[in-house]
Amino acid sequence: MGVVQGDQMVLNIGPQHPSTHGVLRLKVVTDGEIVSDITPIIGYLHRCFEKHCENSTYEQVIPYTDRCDYIASMNNNFGYVVAMEELMEIKVPERVEYIRVIMAELNRIASHLLALGTYGLDVGAFTPFLYMFRDRERILDIFELTCGARLLYNYMWVGGVSHDLPVGFVETVYNFLDYFEPKVQEYNDILTFNKIFIERTADVGVLLPEVAISFGVSGPNLRGSGVKWDIRKDEPYSIYERFDFDVPVGQGLVGTMGDCWDRFYVRVLEMIESTKILRQALKDIPANGDVHQALPKKIRPPKGSIYRRTESPRGDLGYYIISDGSPQPYRLKMRSPAFTALSVLNEISRGWMLSDVIAVLGSLDIVLGEIDR
Amino acid sequence: MIKYFATIWETVTTLLTGMGVTWRHMVAIRRDNVTLQYPEERWPRPERDIGFDHDKYNVIRSRLHVDIDDCIGCLKCERVCPVDCIKIDTVKVLNRGADIPNIRHKGITSFGTKKALVVTRFDIDMTECCYCNLCVYPCPEECIYMTGGPNAEKHDIDYEFSEYDRNDLIYRFAKKVSDEDVTNATTETQEVTD
Repeated sequence: MGVVQGDQMVLNIGPQHPSTHGVLRLKVVTDGEIVSDITPIIGYLHRCFEKHCENSTYEQVIPYTDRCDYIASMNNNFGYVVAMEELMEIKVPERVEYIRVIMAELNRIASHLLALGTYGLDVGAFTPFLYMFRDRERILDIFELTCGARLLYNYMWVGGVSHDLPVGFVETVYNFLDYFEPKVQEYNDILTFNKIFIERTADVGVLLPEVAISFGVSGPNLRGSGVKWDIRKDEPYSIYERFDFDVPVGQGLVGTMGDCWDRFYVRVLEMIESTKILRQALKDIPANGDVHQALPKKIRPPKGSIYRRTESPRGDLGYYIISDGSPQPYRLKMRSPAFTALSVLNEISRGWMLSDVIAVLGSLDIVLGEIDR
Repeated sequence: MIKYFATIWETVTTLLTGMGVTWRHMVAIRRDNVTLQYPEERWPRPERDIGFDHDKYNVIRSRLHVDIDDCIGCLKCERVCPVDCIKIDTVKVLNRGADIPNIRHKGITSFGTKKALVVTRFDIDMTECCYCNLCVYPCPEECIYMTGGPNAEKHDIDYEFSEYDRNDLIYRFAKKVSDEDVTNATTETQEVTD
């Protein structure tokens, strides 16, 4: 934090503040209205994820990964099971792969809807938030139909998924897509291209590509800076190489490349790409198949370690698993994309006004459950 | 100067576009209304016909229920629980599979298994439960399950179970009998055989 000069003031934002998206405390040094330094103070949601995993079996870890990034639990499960299956050399059936991709992409849309809606809320637009939550609710209904839970699914297991798809699932998702695709235009009309919103977010908090890469920022935040990097494309896992989709990047349409608006718009475009993947997956999914076929009797990976990363809605989600041959992991580390996104906050919001810090923080789309773990 | 007016023009037009969206919603409010007056109306419960064998799957996660007459005390659910919210105590019976009327113990489960243990304590702390459903799968007698859904014949769905006292959320499924009765019941047969 350094020395606070006479005309400077230290201001606390949070931990209970609606714009910090969880329990995050920001220690802000301000000079009048201008911010000169920010120190994020984290740990209010720390639940000993790593230590707990060392004391629980491999299947008991999956409900915990749900609770890390609770907005996109399916994607967290996905990363873990992909790593575990590679460690145990399990080949999962085709149908399971398709189910997983469908679930992950649906959850990506749900997560982006929440990110965009609450970002509108942060900068003062209330109505889009309600519209986006209304549509997110439909995705949660689909999840509830499939696995019985709305937020914390424990759906993907090592070697399979917990339940097969219900009857009429494919039609339900098709109906949702038909309903959802025109809505994206509605969001753009009401929020994205609104002049007040643009004035508030364009040119604010510019994240240069070099800075983003050196801080290890990933996901939509990195792509908003114009770097075309998506693990689904560049290091395909599961069956993502079969799908035809674009990786949207920020172009600086209304301001500088890498500003808050670009990060916002990349998420809007990503939802459209996700619907493309969903339509292809729904078309190709095998009609029948046992989803429990490849489940191992006992999850006991051989000695060794693995690091595997997947693309969660927030970016590059990695799991590092060390196995000593027992039913419990020797060490399990999670690399969370939101943590690196938060670390760049000080760099890009210095010199801006205090109210812009809220706009920058919201555009990074952090989830504190994942940062503190 | 031109830029000034251009900005004003842009602001007004984009605002009107946005307000058009809200206007369309306001006109169609009766058709598109999604608000539910919760205590008076409720969402329809998810369809029960989910297309696969109900004995194997359980798709509703509302709250845990145990058919204690079917429990053989194998502790599988206790071991698999990630948050240790299930606590089970058992006492060994000498006459395997026999009913013990004093403590209302049934000797044979509905699957036909002869029980070797009396379950004296089966507590589930629903304040700790994380609804992960992991305890349901390993149960060999399928006696622990989430209520409702495929199990609606066994137990109605019930997702409104708030209580005034936190202790009321600890569900005690074991038969309410005193320790003495259990000791007598499980050693009685021994005296006879001796």
